[in-house]
Amino acid sequence: MIEAVELTKNYGEVRAVERVSFTIPQGEVFGLLGPNGAGKTTTIKMLTTLSRPDSGRCTIDGFDVVKSAFDIKGRIGVVPQENNLDRELTAFENLLIYAMLHRVKDRNKEIKAALMMVDLWDRKDSEVTHFSGGMQRRLLLARALLPQPSILFLDELSIGLDPQIRRQMWDMIRKTKIQGRTVILTTHYIEEAENLCDRVGILSRGKLITLDTPANLKASVGEYIVEQIDQEGKLMQTICKSPEEARELAKNKEAGVTIRKSNLEDVFIKLTGERIE
Amino acid sequence: MIVAGWVPIFLREMLLFRRKLLRVGYLFSAMVTPIIYLIAFGLGLGNSVKMAGSDYLSYLIPGLVAMSSMNNSYTWVASGVNLNRLYFKTFQIFVQAPIHPSSILTGEVLAGMVKGLFASMLIIIVGLLTSSTFSLTGIFIATLILNCFLFANLGVITGMRTKSHEDTATYSNFFIMPMAFFCGTFFPVDRLPNFIKWIIYILPLTHTNVIMRKGSLDEEGLFSLGILAVYAVAFFIYGSRLIRKYSE
Repeated sequence: MIEAVELTKNYGEVRAVERVSFTIPQGEVFGLLGPNGAGKTTTIKMLTTLSRPDSGRCTIDGFDVVKSAFDIKGRIGVVPQENNLDRELTAFENLLIYAMLHRVKDRNKEIKAALMMVDLWDRKDSEVTHFSGGMQRRLLLARALLPQPSILFLDELSIGLDPQIRRQMWDMIRKTKIQGRTVILTTHYIEEAENLCDRVGILSRGKLITLDTPANLKASVGEYIVEQIDQEGKLMQTICKSPEEARELAKNKEAGVTIRKSNLEDVFIKLTGERIE
Repeated sequence: MIVAGWVPIFLREMLLFRRKLLRVGYLFSAMVTPIIYLIAFGLGLGNSVKMAGSDYLSYLIPGLVAMSSMNNSYTWVASGVNLNRLYFKTFQIFVQAPIHPSSILTGEVLAGMVKGLFASMLIIIVGLLTSSTFSLTGIFIATLILNCFLFANLGVITGMRTKSHEDTATYSNFFIMPMAFFCGTFFPVDRLPNFIKWIIYILPLTHTNVIMRKGSLDEEGLFSLGILAVYAVAFFIYGSRLIRKYSE
């Protein structure tokens, strides 16, 4: 279980994360959603012992991230937002170094299994610098899963990936959930958060502004949106609680009206007045 | 098999080093500066200058070995740690691994020592071929290893403290380059004015040069060895502390 209490982090005058609190039970896929600069990566860095909180505390399976960092490091796998593979080393060498750092037993067998999982076994002897962006993200995921961590942190895992590769990544995340792992992911892709997460916390300007299941969050703003482009080209949106209400509203408007289900971006816009992307 | 925490860090550096070695440019860059000094000062001036009772080339070679070991142990580690920390972010995987901070330091330092010893070996080979009086002694080799250890630790400290890659060049210009020229590499420290001599005697490369030019450990040599040991321990402790306190 992960428990964060009033986590705060400042970079000089900038308050990157402000009094963020949440609890994540074992086996949950938990998403942190928000625009760039919302504090998602800083939160992940604090949870993964890379950054010390200025105040507040966080425990993972009862271990404090600052006082007992060593115990936590053996339980977590991290896919960082920025690719930190050694580009001049081969895929196999990258995983070998990581396996040794994390004291993985039966290294060759585990590395082979990890590379096969992400369909990179046939490229094991290629230098990472020759890999496409999608292959590098897959290798990062294989590396993070190599020590069989009980908690997996994915910081913008699918950023820059084409839709097909992104869906492959989602399948892998669902598989890790089935294996009983806790997954904490940050994303600014609405679809990703809705598809994968049991619960979603929305961050804005360093603050956690809401946290619930995707269904509850959407229901809280109204499940249907009636949209129309006005004469000045501006998108007009009206939130409705039921499909009947939405149809009734659309009937009274001119042509070019669409009705769609609400999504987490609508939640974000309602709460902050801003867009996520 | 479970290995010590420093082994994967050292292995990583060696895998990268092996690839660099296969490039002609790396070998050339490791050798070019000391070889230029050797040709310009040793072979050019060497025939007409006597230093400390011997020909200048014989005087110069131990100094060039000390300087080269310092430069290579320090520079590769300082820029490597700095780039891995700030740009490539590969340092993160060490910090997030369940290993002790001193293991990270040990792996980086041992790798830096290999690079320093490799560059020194090239100068030693040239020295053995060109100078009739230059020879390797046990105390020479021990001091060379200690010098590499010391400056590789200083490289980690610089790599951890600097806020950009450009800053590492600033540190190098203020500390490493003056040491290369004034700490007894090219001429005895005695020839410097008194007011700067005491500063030069504080610096570690001076003491490396003192010992490497001696065939045995006399009182002065032992004192210099003590100074080097104090620097080495202090740098190791401070480097470990910087890694332990690391936070992004």
